[in-house]
Amino acid sequence: MRLIRTVVREAVAAGPGIRRLVLMDPEGWPLPRQKPGAHIDLHPPDGLVRAYSLCGDPAQQDRYVVAVKREEAGRGGSLWLHDALEVGAEIGVSLPRCTFPLAPDATRHVFIAGGIGVTPFLSMAAALERAGGNYVLHLLHRGALPLPGHLPRHAVLHDTSAAPRPALADLLGAPAPGLHAYCCGPNGLIEAFEAATRDWPSGQAHVEHFVPPPLPPDPEARPFTLVLARSGASAELPAGAPLLPAIKALGGEVEASCEGGICGACKVRWLEGPPLHRDRVLQPEARREYLMACVAGCAGPRLVLDL
Amino acid sequence: MSHAPGPVTPTWLGVVAHLHVTARAFLPMRPQEAITLIAGRGIEGDRYMLGIEEGFYSAKPEEGRQVTLFEAEALEAIRRDHGIELLPEEHRRNVTTRGVPLTHLVGRRFRLGACLLEATRLSVPCRHIEEILEKPVFDPMINRSGLNCRILEGGVVRVGDAVRPA
Ligand code: FES
Repeated sequence: MRLIRTVVREAVAAGPGIRRLVLMDPEGWPLPRQKPGAHIDLHPPDGLVRAYSLCGDPAQQDRYVVAVKREEAGRGGSLWLHDALEVGAEIGVSLPRCTFPLAPDATRHVFIAGGIGVTPFLSMAAALERAGGNYVLHLLHRGALPLPGHLPRHAVLHDTSAAPRPALADLLGAPAPGLHAYCCGPNGLIEAFEAATRDWPSGQAHVEHFVPPPLPPDPEARPFTLVLARSGASAELPAGAPLLPAIKALGGEVEASCEGGICGACKVRWLEGPPLHRDRVLQPEARREYLMACVAGCAGPRLVLDL
Repeated sequence: MSHAPGPVTPTWLGVVAHLHVTARAFLPMRPQEAITLIAGRGIEGDRYMLGIEEGFYSAKPEEGRQVTLFEAEALEAIRRDHGIELLPEEHRRNVTTRGVPLTHLVGRRFRLGACLLEATRLSVPCRHIEEILEKPVFDPMINRSGLNCRILEGGVVRVGDAVRPA
């Protein structure tokens, strides 16, 4: 897998258990474009790939800014990024991917963030400030603020250690044409957001998970034949078998990061199916052509992939 | 009375329309007025220069890809056939030519300005090009992705230089 080579130019504590990293090309070349709301994978040498939202101003093309929350119980990647990674060290990153874009036709954006889930909204707010867009960020946090000094102008702070969590419906207001709502944070907050926007017109409420939601086994899953169209390699898979290891065993190449259907890294074109889509990133039109290999299954007897 | 054969008339004569380099894979290409080709190695300051990047990427620079070319006509064909505006800095090849039948040059030698190149094979589109550009150009670029060449004689190449058979 090819990575973008970056050097850590700044690493500063930025709120409770949060380290803010500024990554740049070794010679300061501009980096591949980043859209507001996009994320990148960091590739520490231990192979524990993790995705982080870009939280700088997308107009600053010479840097990727990420904020890493220390997770003692996590897979370990965040501990290395906190304790071992030093200013001046090199780290490989993926191309930016955007699974959480600003709605281009919106006239007003309401952002609901829980804690470190504020990160994608920082790049979105920077882009909206520049373009004169209309937005408000509601930041729900417990005690000390995440990324103090980096929060946008139109931020409303809700300290849930001092007062009960506000009702999301009150923060969101009534749905209206041109009004788009976005939520990023822990799964509990996302569930509350999804409940509060259940009756909104489709496509006007958007969520970004940073922890993959639990995925129950699919009752429709059945055994199928997996075929890689380019090499012709195939394998028989039992119902519900994960695709990624099967593709790798057949010699196919797919990138992966979250392995939970939320980051967009493992997108593969399918030719025959139909697949069972269980991801949270592909739009309905995209599903007609692509699947996310980390969580997808197959509803038919044969799944043929363009690999 | 017989005549000595005159100089062979080239069957085509093209021109260098644009020049671009980038220091590393995926980074945006930068326009240049002139680039310096080094025989057997690559372009000064470019990602495909042999000896650079080794060790970091799994895909190493390859010997037959010291300089890459792309036809301006292919950009126009992609616009015409697919309605996609692909810019000279977006196809990710170093030299954009006009009037050069690149696809017919595989295995042949030709002059790029004063430099002598040998075409090794047709380029294939990068798997990541759609992500980098956010334009659906992978399929349109199949079979029109340019030409990889080895540098036999180096030198400076400028925008406006002639491209002709050797
Ligand atoms: S690896 Fe993240 S969506 Fe599949």
